[in-house]
Amino acid sequence: MSIQMPREFIVARTGRILVTGSNGFIGAKVVEILLEYGFSNLRCFVRPSSRLDRLNRVIQKFSAEKTVELVSGDLLSREDCARAADGVSVIYHLAAGFDKSFAGAFMNSALATRNLADAFLERGRPTRFVNVSSFAVYSNLTLGRRAPLDEDSPLEDAPQERYDAYGFGKLKQEELIRSYGQLRGLPYVILRPGAVFGPGKKDLTGRIGVDTFGFFIHIGGSNQLPLTFVDNCAEAIVLAGLVPDVNGEIFNVVDDELLTSAQFLKAYKKVKPLFSVRLPYAVAYGLSMAWEGYSRRSQGQLPPAFNRRRCAADWKGNRFSNRKLRDKLGWEPRIRMKDAMQQFLAQFSARSH
Amino acid sequence: MPRVAIIGCGKIADQHVQAIHRIPGASIVAVCDREELMARQLAERFGIGGCFADAGEMLRVSSPDVVHVTTPPQSHHALGLQCLDAGSHVYIEKPFTVTAPEAESLIKLARQRGLNITAGHNYQFTPEMLAMRRLVGDGFLGGRPVHLESYWSYDLGDLNYVGPLLGNPNHWVRQLPGQLFHNLISHGVARLAEFLDEEIVELVATAHQSAYLRNLGGQDVMDELRVLIRDRFGTTASFCFSTQIKPGLNQFRICGTANSISVDLMSGSLVRHVNRSYKSYLTFLVPPMVNAREYIRNARRNAVDIFRQRLHQDSGMKELIDQFYGSITGRGPAPIPYREILLTARIMDAIFAQIHATAGRASIPVAARG
Repeated sequence: MSIQMPREFIVARTGRILVTGSNGFIGAKVVEILLEYGFSNLRCFVRPSSRLDRLNRVIQKFSAEKTVELVSGDLLSREDCARAADGVSVIYHLAAGFDKSFAGAFMNSALATRNLADAFLERGRPTRFVNVSSFAVYSNLTLGRRAPLDEDSPLEDAPQERYDAYGFGKLKQEELIRSYGQLRGLPYVILRPGAVFGPGKKDLTGRIGVDTFGFFIHIGGSNQLPLTFVDNCAEAIVLAGLVPDVNGEIFNVVDDELLTSAQFLKAYKKVKPLFSVRLPYAVAYGLSMAWEGYSRRSQGQLPPAFNRRRCAADWKGNRFSNRKLRDKLGWEPRIRMKDAMQQFLAQFSARSH
Repeated sequence: MPRVAIIGCGKIADQHVQAIHRIPGASIVAVCDREELMARQLAERFGIGGCFADAGEMLRVSSPDVVHVTTPPQSHHALGLQCLDAGSHVYIEKPFTVTAPEAESLIKLARQRGLNITAGHNYQFTPEMLAMRRLVGDGFLGGRPVHLESYWSYDLGDLNYVGPLLGNPNHWVRQLPGQLFHNLISHGVARLAEFLDEEIVELVATAHQSAYLRNLGGQDVMDELRVLIRDRFGTTASFCFSTQIKPGLNQFRICGTANSISVDLMSGSLVRHVNRSYKSYLTFLVPPMVNAREYIRNARRNAVDIFRQRLHQDSGMKELIDQFYGSITGRGPAPIPYREILLTARIMDAIFAQIHATAGRASIPVAARG
C-alpha cells in the first residue's frame, strides 16, 4: 500500500473536522485515513443507538482516544447539529439513513443535510462541506450502451418513476447543497461514489443482478461496474475536504481497471457458490417495461420495482472515468483492483464466516 | 367527489395519496407540513397544486372538503378541532388521539358541526374483514360473541423505525403515554372494540421488554403486551402484541355459540369453523379436510381478485377512505361507528394506565362514558 501525502491542505492538522456516518462502512475508513494523515482534532457524529465496533477499532488502532471526540445525536435535530458543527472547519457528511419510503429517504438525506449545513454556517468555521452522494442520482436513459457516464451526464428527472427512494433523497440533498452554495456561500464539494466494495460488506451490488425471486438473476454480463474499493473511495473523500480550489466541484469516484459484472460474479462464485441464471439486458429491459406497464394499469397493485429507468441505470452498461478525480484532487487508488478483489473475497474464507 | 387536503407529509402520507388517487373523482388540492420542505417534496412527486407550512392558511386558502391528518398523534386533537372549525370533514390516522377525552371532544365537535370524522383503522376494511363482518351480520355466530382473540405483531428488525426512537428520549413515540404500544396497537384493539360492549368490567394488562429490545439498548421501552378484557355481557377478549413472534401474526378470531370465524390478515384468509361432530376417527380426518377446503377457497378468491386487479396491498385503506367519502356525500353510513372509535381509545388508555401503574397484574375496571 502506498500512501500519497498531499501537498497543501486548506485546513491545519489541528483544525476541527467533523465526520457524520463515522461508524459506517466508508465513514470509519475516512476517519482512519484522516488519522493517518495526522489530523488530531476529529469529531465523529454517531447515532445514540449505533454499535460503534468499526469506529472503535480505528480509534484503538491509532490509540486516538484523545484525538477523536464522539458526539451522539440525530441529524434531524437542529440542536444536535449545532453541537456537532460548533467550531468545525471541515465537514465530511457521509451519514445516510436508509429508508424504503420516499419521505423517509428525503428526511434522512435532504432535511438532515439542511440542518447540518445551517449549523455549519452558523456555528462552524466553514471551510469545506464534503457531501457524499451517489451514482444513483444519474439517469442514463438517453445515453447509449457503453457511452461514457461522467460528472456532466444528466441527472434523474423522474425518481418517482424509477421507484428509487434512495436516489430521490440523494438528488434532493445535492439540490439543497448546490442552492446553499449559490445563495449562502456554502463552500461545498460533492462526491458521487460508484459501487463501493470491500471487507465488511458481503452483499453483491445490485448492478450485477437481483435475488428477489429466490435465486440470483444475473442481468447483462458485459456491463462495466463502477467499482470503488472502500479504501480508495475513502481517500477520495478525504482529499475532497482538504485540497484547495475545488469548491463547487462534483467528482465521480471509481477505481482503475474496472471489472464487468460477469468478471466480478465469476470471481465471487469461486469463493461463495451461488446458483445464478443469466438474463440478457434486452430481455430484462422488455420485462421491466411490461412490469412498469402493469403497475401503471393496475394503479400500483404491483409497485413499479422493476422499470425501464432502473433497468438502464443498473444494467445498461456505461463506461466510467476517474480522470477528474485524478486531475483536480491528485487522487490515486491506494489499492489496485486485483488486490482489492483479493481483500474483498478473503472475507468469505472459512475463518471469516 | 371531495376535494382533499393532507396535513403531515411523512411516510404514511404517500399511502394516503396513492389510495385517494384510486378513488374516482377525488382530488388532492393541498398538502401541508410544518416542515415546508416535506410538504414540497410530496407536492412535487404527485403534482399537487397547494403546498403549505401552516394548517390555518391551508384551510383558508384551499377550503378542502376533507382533511387527512397524518401527523404524529400529539397533534391530532388540535389539528382535528382546527379542521372541523374550518368546516372540513376529518380522517385522522391512528392512534385517533392521545387520550380518550380528546377523542370525545373531537367527536362532540364533529356532531355539533354536522361533519364526519373517522379514525385510520384501515385494517378493519380489508376484504377478509369485510367478509367476516358480513358473516357475523348474517348470524353465523349464533348471537353475541363469546370470545374474541386479536394478535398483532410488529417486526423491529428494521432499525430505521426503532433506532431513532431508542436513541432519542424526546422522540415523539417515546413521549406518548403508551410509548411504542401507543403508536402500534390501535389496529389490534379496534377489532375487539367493534364487538365488545362499551361497559368493560374487567381489564388486565401485562407488559415487558423483550430480550431483543434490551440488547438494542431499549431503556424503558416495552415491546411485549398481553391483555384480557371482559364486558358486561360476559364477552371476553384477549389481545397479544408482540415484536418477537415469528412468523408475524395479524389475526382475529371471533367465537360464537353456534360457529366461529378465524381471519388471517397476513394471508388475506377467512376460515369458517362450523360446529359439527363426527363419529369416531372421522374426527381426525374430516375437519382437516374441511379446513383445507376453506384455505383453497381463500387462495382461489385471492387469485381471482389479484387477476382482476381488485386486491391491492393497501386495499383496507382505499376501502375505508372510499366509504368515508361515501358517508360525506350521503352514499352510506359512517364507516366506523363513533362508539367503536371511543371504546378503542378508552381501552388503550386503560391498558397504558395499568402497565405503567402496576407493571401488570391488578384489575382496573374501565367505566363506560357517554
